[in-house]
Amino acid sequence: MSGSDSVAEGDFQHLFATEAEGRLDTLVDQLLELEKGGATPELVASLFREAHTIKGGAAVVGMPHVARVAHALEDLLEEVRRERRGVDTPLIDSVLAGVDAIRTLIPLAVAGEDHEHAAFEAEQRLRIAVGGPPAAGDEAAAAPTPVAAAPASADPPPSAAPLAEQPGPRRSAAARQAPAAALAPPPSPPEPPPQVGGSAAGPEPEADRGAVPHRPDPVTGQAPAAAAVPGPTEPARAAAAEMVQIPVHRIDDLVRLIGEASAATLRLGSALLERLERDPSGMTEYRDLVRSLNELQELALHARMIPVMSLAPRLRRAVRDLARESGKEVRFETRGEDAEIDRGVLERLADPLLHLVRNAVDHGIESPDERRLRGKPMEGIIRLHAMQLGSEVVIAVSDDGRGIDVARVREAAGSTDRSAMEMDDEAALYLIFRSGLSTATRVTGVSGRGVGLDAVRASLNAVRGRIEVRSDPGLGTEFRIAVPITMATLRCLVINSAGQAFAIPLHSVRAVLPPQPSATVGGRAMTMVEGRPVPISSLASVLGTGNGVEGPAVVVAGLTRSHAFKVDELVDQRDVVVKGLGELIPRLPAVAGAGVQPDGSILLVLEAAGLIERARRVDSGDRSLEAADGGRREAPVARRAASILVVDDALTVRELQRSIFENAGYRVAVATNGEEALTRISEERPDLVLTDVQMPRMDGFQLTAAIRGQPALASVPVIILTSRGSDEDRRRGLECGADGYIVKSGFDQSALLSAVEHLLGAER
Amino acid sequence: MPTVPAPSVNAGQLALLIPVGSDTYALPLEAVREVVVDPKVTELPTSPSVVLGVFNVRGDIVPLLDTSLLLGMRPVAEEPYAVLVETAHGVAGLVATEMPMTVRLSESVGHSDMEGTTETYLIGDARLAVALDVSTLLSPARISR
Repeated sequence: MSGSDSVAEGDFQHLFATEAEGRLDTLVDQLLELEKGGATPELVASLFREAHTIKGGAAVVGMPHVARVAHALEDLLEEVRRERRGVDTPLIDSVLAGVDAIRTLIPLAVAGEDHEHAAFEAEQRLRIAVGGPPAAGDEAAAAPTPVAAAPASADPPPSAAPLAEQPGPRRSAAARQAPAAALAPPPSPPEPPPQVGGSAAGPEPEADRGAVPHRPDPVTGQAPAAAAVPGPTEPARAAAAEMVQIPVHRIDDLVRLIGEASAATLRLGSALLERLERDPSGMTEYRDLVRSLNELQELALHARMIPVMSLAPRLRRAVRDLARESGKEVRFETRGEDAEIDRGVLERLADPLLHLVRNAVDHGIESPDERRLRGKPMEGIIRLHAMQLGSEVVIAVSDDGRGIDVARVREAAGSTDRSAMEMDDEAALYLIFRSGLSTATRVTGVSGRGVGLDAVRASLNAVRGRIEVRSDPGLGTEFRIAVPITMATLRCLVINSAGQAFAIPLHSVRAVLPPQPSATVGGRAMTMVEGRPVPISSLASVLGTGNGVEGPAVVVAGLTRSHAFKVDELVDQRDVVVKGLGELIPRLPAVAGAGVQPDGSILLVLEAAGLIERARRVDSGDRSLEAADGGRREAPVARRAASILVVDDALTVRELQRSIFENAGYRVAVATNGEEALTRISEERPDLVLTDVQMPRMDGFQLTAAIRGQPALASVPVIILTSRGSDEDRRRGLECGADGYIVKSGFDQSALLSAVEHLLGAER
Repeated sequence: MPTVPAPSVNAGQLALLIPVGSDTYALPLEAVREVVVDPKVTELPTSPSVVLGVFNVRGDIVPLLDTSLLLGMRPVAEEPYAVLVETAHGVAGLVATEMPMTVRLSESVGHSDMEGTTETYLIGDARLAVALDVSTLLSPARISR
């Protein structure tokens, strides 16, 4: 019953895992609302429903253990719903623990791992929690005890409270019961007693056994809580009918296919122009097609979007747990319900945000006593705000706590970095993102271990996000995260440098400056940016594509440094769908990837950190850069000392010689026979000719004679290289005017090179 | 001229002849995906010099490699044709300086010593073609060096 043996079931398990995640989030959110004191019948009924639906779903997809825990959760909430169990902190804690257990168990079940023991323990905890205090101040709760409810069923069922005492039969009943329950509509409100045997839970009487005991309670059945249940379920059901859940990869496939369709359309356009000489941009049909595809692409990308606030339940939960643990009073507020973001991006924001929120509770918010002393409300506030700004979403985590003590940050950093002591407050504040820095004097389970904000920053960097911090001592701290809405496209500043367009991700552009005066400080050109000196270089010279220019400068911020790059001109801002450059090419630190532009051309996207590092090395005259790159294409030509014409009809020999000479720094031209050699020589006079003897059309002796016959070529040295070792040949070669005669059998690379060097040296 | 008859594994096989400068190379036809005429190449600064740039093949970004430089010889002067080759690390383009043609290979006339090549074949009466070993030639390690 592990459930992973069939592909279809596996698919459903994933689907269920996604659905359950959302339901558990809702559960936690509502639970915390309940804790705040809003125990309305609707809220309790809704909680019960979520647990019930999870139980049913788990059983259907073959996760009996998850179903068991969910069932126990449902039973516990049922007690609350029937007002037989009051809402108190232990109850909230128990339900939260149950939620956590389910969260842990689902991935285990998907992976097909055995988790019965964990499930059993979680279930026991929930069963024990049923025996809490009765609903306070509620006379309805006082009258019916749980035990009294039990005999309502036909079979003698286990009573509600002492369930924990009989795990054996209970377990199997739950496992068998659950699939049937799931077939019923999710809300499945408890029905009055008459339908005991055959209610919505399903036709099998045995299947009902697990669910029966708590439901047909004739006493509380008349309670308003039960009556309220069907109410809110109707709109919920209607809304659910409007929704489908789609695996993310299907949307990704869709996005990819639309991209391919767009590319095909562009090719169609150029085919129209080339073959039929029809300009596609003048055709309405073509324009319509392109426009529709663009819209389609946008819609498909949008399908991946989910509200930023879908993370809120998890964060709220963390705030609540931590506040309880540390004896603080904290309210968690959210704003920006409409801000949406790519699911993949949001997933990667969960940990950084969790970290910031925990920090806010642990470091930011003061203890209630301290707050009172400072004249603040005892309850601290942590706010999570999300807002869409262009192609970015800005998420702010703020608190009204004590703020960051910049002096202590400076002190902590100063122990390892003297320069920290000279920094102004703002610069010093950003030291908190440094690795290993912590101002916490005590180590708690949460923070103060010196790992954290640097990791937050690194995670954000991975999703091309950036983080800012503001702090007012005594008033609070605010962290602002700005991330692109989607990783699929990247907002870029497009510039021209040495005739080539490049895109610079906008998240790393700090400023754009008009042509700048620069001063040389310590051998480096610097310019002032916002009152601070920043190194400045020409982008073209850093990339090795050209020389310095006097155009505008783009100030790029890496993780730790900023650098200004002079470019020819600024072009525009564009959303670029960034692709990798493939596995064949080594990773280029200065290039993040490339995007295919609507006209089919390729736009390179630069990487700030790599670019800055490269600029630094170029500035310091690091020659290894050329070695690492192999230089630009022109480089081998540029270092030419002399050119050699290699004439040989054997390709292998010819290429062997070519590689020997080129490795030695010479420029090499080749010809396959004497005639071809003469043509080459007429095009460009070589500094030396190395020729074979036996060749078709014109042999080496004839070639040597022909070269010597031309006054202009009289000084060009000729070496004859042959397999013939006879004295006759050697004599004949020298008679033709050859300067050297090397026999292939005695051929060795260094002898050849030294002969060439000798002759070239003599010639100059 | 080496005349030792080396055992040929590829004789009789269809091959694509790739002219590069004054030389001709051969690739087994099944290794070739297509030939792109006049690829629009975007230079890739800071890349190894064998990488002439990248070009767009139906929305995919494909590197264009200097066939000659890859074999340790002088760089090509122009890139009028790109031969798309499937490798274990994705598709790559190899430059051809003239239109590649398909031929059926005869017996090998000798082993080629150049790294990244296998056998030498006689094409017609006077032309020699050296068969390329795609797996050696088009590896990230070789491109990076």
